[in-house]
Amino acid sequence: MDFSVVIGGEAGQGAFSVELEATEMLAALGYHFFATKNYMSRVRGGHNFHMIRIADHPVHALSGYPWDMIMALDGETERRHRPNLREGGIYLSREMTREIESEARSAFGSVVASNSVLVGFLLSVIGADSDRVANASGEERRELLKRGRSFAERWNFAGHFAIPPRAGTGCRLDGNQALALGAILGGCQFMAGYPMTPATSIMHHFSMAARSAPVHFEQAEDEISAVNMALGASYAGVRAMVATSGGGFALMQEGVSLAGMTETPIVIVLAQRPGPATGLPTRTEQADLNFVVHAGHGEFARIVFAPGSINEAIRLARDSFDLADRFQIPVFLLTDQYFADSVQVVEEALALEPRFREPPAADAAYRRYRLTEDGISPLAFPGLSDSLVRVDSDEHDEEGKITEDLELRTRMVDKRFGRRDLLRNAAVPPTLFGNGEADTLVLCWGSNRLILQEAVERLGGEGIRLAGLHFGQVYPLTAEMIAPHGLKSRRLVSVENNAGGQFAALLKRELGIEVSESVLKYNGECFTVGELCRSLRRIVTGGDR
Amino acid sequence: MTTARSDIAWCPGCGNFAIRDALEKAIRELPVPRKDIVLTSGIGQAAKMPHYIDVNFFNGLHGRSLPLAVGIKLARPDLTVIAYSGDGCHYGEGGNHFIQTIRRRLDITILVSDNQVYALTKGQTSPTTDPGTVNSLDPEGNRNLPLNPVLLALSMGAPFVARGYAGEKSHLKDLIREAILFRGTSVVDILQPCVSFNRTNTYEWYGDRVYRLRKPRTGLFQAMKTAAVWGDRIPIGVLYRNEEAECRTGKTLYGERITDEDIRNQLGLPCVMMR
Repeated sequence: MDFSVVIGGEAGQGAFSVELEATEMLAALGYHFFATKNYMSRVRGGHNFHMIRIADHPVHALSGYPWDMIMALDGETERRHRPNLREGGIYLSREMTREIESEARSAFGSVVASNSVLVGFLLSVIGADSDRVANASGEERRELLKRGRSFAERWNFAGHFAIPPRAGTGCRLDGNQALALGAILGGCQFMAGYPMTPATSIMHHFSMAARSAPVHFEQAEDEISAVNMALGASYAGVRAMVATSGGGFALMQEGVSLAGMTETPIVIVLAQRPGPATGLPTRTEQADLNFVVHAGHGEFARIVFAPGSINEAIRLARDSFDLADRFQIPVFLLTDQYFADSVQVVEEALALEPRFREPPAADAAYRRYRLTEDGISPLAFPGLSDSLVRVDSDEHDEEGKITEDLELRTRMVDKRFGRRDLLRNAAVPPTLFGNGEADTLVLCWGSNRLILQEAVERLGGEGIRLAGLHFGQVYPLTAEMIAPHGLKSRRLVSVENNAGGQFAALLKRELGIEVSESVLKYNGECFTVGELCRSLRRIVTGGDR
Repeated sequence: MTTARSDIAWCPGCGNFAIRDALEKAIRELPVPRKDIVLTSGIGQAAKMPHYIDVNFFNGLHGRSLPLAVGIKLARPDLTVIAYSGDGCHYGEGGNHFIQTIRRRLDITILVSDNQVYALTKGQTSPTTDPGTVNSLDPEGNRNLPLNPVLLALSMGAPFVARGYAGEKSHLKDLIREAILFRGTSVVDILQPCVSFNRTNTYEWYGDRVYRLRKPRTGLFQAMKTAAVWGDRIPIGVLYRNEEAECRTGKTLYGERITDEDIRNQLGLPCVMMR
């Protein structure tokens, strides 16, 4: 049982509201679902579409199967999506949605009410129990949802694609919510940012937390200021983060270098969108891997994570703050628009224990950059003891004072750069799925994990033996991380949302691993399971079956 | 003071020596222990100041002393935060931060060694350089109008704005102390002769022109009028002091625990329409 619907309309027309409300209801009613969106960089007009997949089993990607239902809020939906409607699928034409709108207007006094009526229609199509729908909805929406059901009944679509709710009442999160939640769990109390798609809602969720929790969000005048504010807060003793996209991160780079030089812990979220420059502001891409790995002048250590699921995002975001502290380095969370804007039910139990960093102790002999055996000097914060905390962007001595002692310079570089060895031991291993014994291993990173996982499973059902390996940590890459998976003796295929095969190139540079084929997509859209299956089938069997 | 004069990276005769003495004395007179004071700075000759004063410091990047100060003050409202840099750093590279930081209404003191020249890079035009000044990158003379820092600070709503002069050390010390003690964003532009690269605005030149204001101007417009005075006569002292201006205080973050309820609230938030 696998049902996919697309809701298309102009920006500002309500398709987004339909998706939000539908996913809220689906989560409350216990359905397995996945939702994502494809939208333009405009507030009104154009053509946006929102896709929801509902099933009787866990789903975490677009199936790529023809649409089971299309809801047209504009004329463009017919042209764009109707050719891809399955036989026997439901097409809710613009005339029909107009009828819904006009009835919503006359019965409930507002055209906005038609969004909820459409959700009621959708719930009726999948056979949602009317009493449960009524119980799960608020008072103000109950009648609207009921009206949607009566439309479905009137047009004979009620229960047309009946799907049993089997998820239990799970929690629904999108990627950016997961990152904000993970950050707060990690004890992050300060975030500075400048709005930029697709990172803005991380800031929103953090600032919403600030209404009652001991956290603060400050909107900066630009990304340069944002990263410096976060470094200031971190220096002062409060765990801090920033979030942006490629263009904003370009401005933050000097701050990355400053974090490296001053050994100030910071967590940086880079939600990728297609570049160069302004690119496609509201679409997806994975083309900033090279950028993040190399960002900032000079040499210093860093970690780059690229979570592939909601749970992984929460966990890695949370752990990033511990790691940034422990190694006194910048830690990156590299995501993308697809990940940020995809809504999923969280099925595994979450560890929801907030972390708290015990205040460090410092004595009068404290030196911020004391040379130690492992290169890590104890952190301390100003004002908490009589010791002074002095940090400098110039090369500095153990006390943090400017130095041009070139022998000391070498030792300080070794101190900052040498902790790469410590990072190796802390690396997060990649996740293996599919047929572990298969000759062909498909590599992916970041948001492609669950798309690939389903593709590998689907192909396995066809008798095509494949294994998948997802890297949630993309830098550093270590021999230990890949040791159990025999990469050198298998045929390797990489799946990436970029034109250059950046991860495959990184793997070669870091570990000497040769990837023989790549499946690359860089038109601004995510992969669907069906599309990935076609590409992988062609690679494995040498033809499209 | 632990720093020997010989370790200081300024030229003999530099106005910054007097400013350092004034700042050091002002800090000594504060009812705040040194451990609770943080000096942020950017890059430039003036931005080396924190190395010569015994307090906490974050000597950051060129132009960025103010975002650092904002982050520190928001994270730790208990700390006394002073952002120290030169005219190039505060008004040039960090010009937008200067404007936007004043708007934030935090209790931060902004001190500026204003020598009207980029000294560390050996004498190029700064935002406050006089028109017509000839230097290595302006061989035909500076074509730009100078920025008036005190007028700009007043127009942005800074509740405490003063101009000091390195040649009047004791007066400067009082200004700095008053600025730090003032609750709100305070700006002190400090006229600083540069003995190596500014042949015009010398000690003699200033000596003939500066005069002390006896008390702050009454009202913003009067203060702006005085702030605009520059040339044969240059007023120094507190131009404006508005006790009524609101000062924003960050909430206590350090040591506060995020609770399970905070997490539950977070989980209950709806997805949003936001790009």
